[in-house]
Amino acid sequence: MTPRSGSVFHAVHLGLLRAASLLAPANQRAEWLQEWRAELWHVRRERAPQRVVSWRAEREVTLFCLGAFRDALCLRPHAAIRERRTDLRSTSPAQCILWLALMLVASYALSLLLPGVRDASGASRGQIDPGLILIGHPTSSPASAATVSAAEFANWHARPQRYFDRFAFYSVARESVTTADGNSQWTVAHATANLFSLLGARLRFSAPAAGTDDSSAGAILGCETFEREFDANPRIPGSVVRVGKQLVRIAGVAPCGAWLPGKVDLWFLEPESAVAPASIGYVVAHLTALGREEMFGPTVSITAYGANDSAVDLFGTALEGHTRLPFDVYRFALLLALLCLPGVTSVSMGDYSFNSHRPSWPRRICRWSFLCAKVALLLPIVYYAPLDLAWWHISTASFASEYVQWIATFLLCLFGMRWVLLDQRQRCPVCLRRVTHPAQVGHASRTFLSWNGTELICMGGHTLLHVPGLPTSWFSAQRWLYLDSSWDFLFAGSSHTGRP
Amino acid sequence: MASEAKLSHTAAMILQAIHAGYVYGFGIMEMTGLPSGTVYPAMRRLERDALIRSQWERQSIADAEQRPPRKYYRLTAAGRVTLESTRKRYPLLERLIPSEEAKPV
Repeated sequence: MTPRSGSVFHAVHLGLLRAASLLAPANQRAEWLQEWRAELWHVRRERAPQRVVSWRAEREVTLFCLGAFRDALCLRPHAAIRERRTDLRSTSPAQCILWLALMLVASYALSLLLPGVRDASGASRGQIDPGLILIGHPTSSPASAATVSAAEFANWHARPQRYFDRFAFYSVARESVTTADGNSQWTVAHATANLFSLLGARLRFSAPAAGTDDSSAGAILGCETFEREFDANPRIPGSVVRVGKQLVRIAGVAPCGAWLPGKVDLWFLEPESAVAPASIGYVVAHLTALGREEMFGPTVSITAYGANDSAVDLFGTALEGHTRLPFDVYRFALLLALLCLPGVTSVSMGDYSFNSHRPSWPRRICRWSFLCAKVALLLPIVYYAPLDLAWWHISTASFASEYVQWIATFLLCLFGMRWVLLDQRQRCPVCLRRVTHPAQVGHASRTFLSWNGTELICMGGHTLLHVPGLPTSWFSAQRWLYLDSSWDFLFAGSSHTGRP
Repeated sequence: MASEAKLSHTAAMILQAIHAGYVYGFGIMEMTGLPSGTVYPAMRRLERDALIRSQWERQSIADAEQRPPRKYYRLTAAGRVTLESTRKRYPLLERLIPSEEAKPV
């Protein structure tokens, strides 16, 4: 930068001081402006002595000028009382809890109002019932290829079972589907009518029950198809599409996520008798209590009996592994953030004292309760706020939403917990108010001869906090100085509570 | 009574800094590390409580040095008494901001 830009800065600084003087009472304005301008000359000489302008120097000069606004505000009538009240309010533990509670209520209310979030949360309450497995022949993984014929399924279904109490079947094929926008090829699954009730899946949208004169069959639209083909229009459920030559009424929209193999666009629900015997598909089975006891891992080998009582080897895969719910994402991100926390801040509470004085047990319990309350409020905020962000619009409900939720949860938890710990370390152990009025004392160059760092004081007059500027072997962590009654004269004007 | 003045921690530091020879606002800020928005209002309060007094330097001095005249601050007798009682309760104060006579030669 050039000297010309330096004069521009100087003009800006003078302008700031003049603006600040307008806030001062009229009878003192001229004298204040004169003093600020005189000091500005010295600040500039100290901070920016060279003709070449540096950003850092100009920043410091600007900070000095901005301080003039605070000076001017302090001069206004009752400013001291207002400032003190503001200080007391802003440092009180109740206000901290109140702010966190407000944030929690806001994020929770938002999650109830946003349809996408409501839907995602609803899915998390039970997208798929537990105890379900996908059955196929062991020649290939049932999750990747359909292997069971409808005839086999009908045979097993008809036989009494020890390990399974309910079955559903579906087969997948590419078919021509005609919608209001035209004709296209979709992946259509012909499923037994009990498939969704067996899964216990909550539909994203459900159409009202069809009238008695409605001859069309029922179908469930896939989540991604709903967004891709219909822009997530909530009026689509209840409308009719043509699959091949058959009219099909869309009864609802399936929940998002890869919860069943096949990447299906439309689930065509039919009675079991209507499923073509030759079709090859997937079998979903619900385990009995005995079946669950026998299943030790995510997969299990099954021996079934065919039509001629011949043994058939099958392979079952638990369906829970296919889904990743918002709460699972939250749990994982939370765990990672907590593991990373020591990397961004010290997890110590900084309870070291200059003397042997310790707060009483009730006060210590109170301090820990305050910490627990902050964490307890933060954790649901960390759940709901990223959920709002990731699923705020229904058309964004996709795998990208999961990543957005994951990253937002991780960052919010990491820096939220960091704030909780930093805030706790600066809370007076006696009254839980934040210590204020930081004063830089000493010089860094004298670290090894004397002490340098920052001192903060409790507005209630209970404690003085010493934070070393440069941690040394003899003064590495912050220390509290508990003030005795001899300090009372410093706080004679405050209405603080009694001494510990 | 000066010894009964309602002093804050900040005010005690400012009193000690003025006593130590830092008589201008910016010098006090430099010494104490307090920001400008804190130092000047605190000094005004100290002046109101008659613990310090301010005075503009003569225009001729400023003209000779080609700069604007500056306001400087001095401790009053009451201010010295208050500072003395503050030091007894806050021994670190003198070590943090050593006064002229206490500075090592």
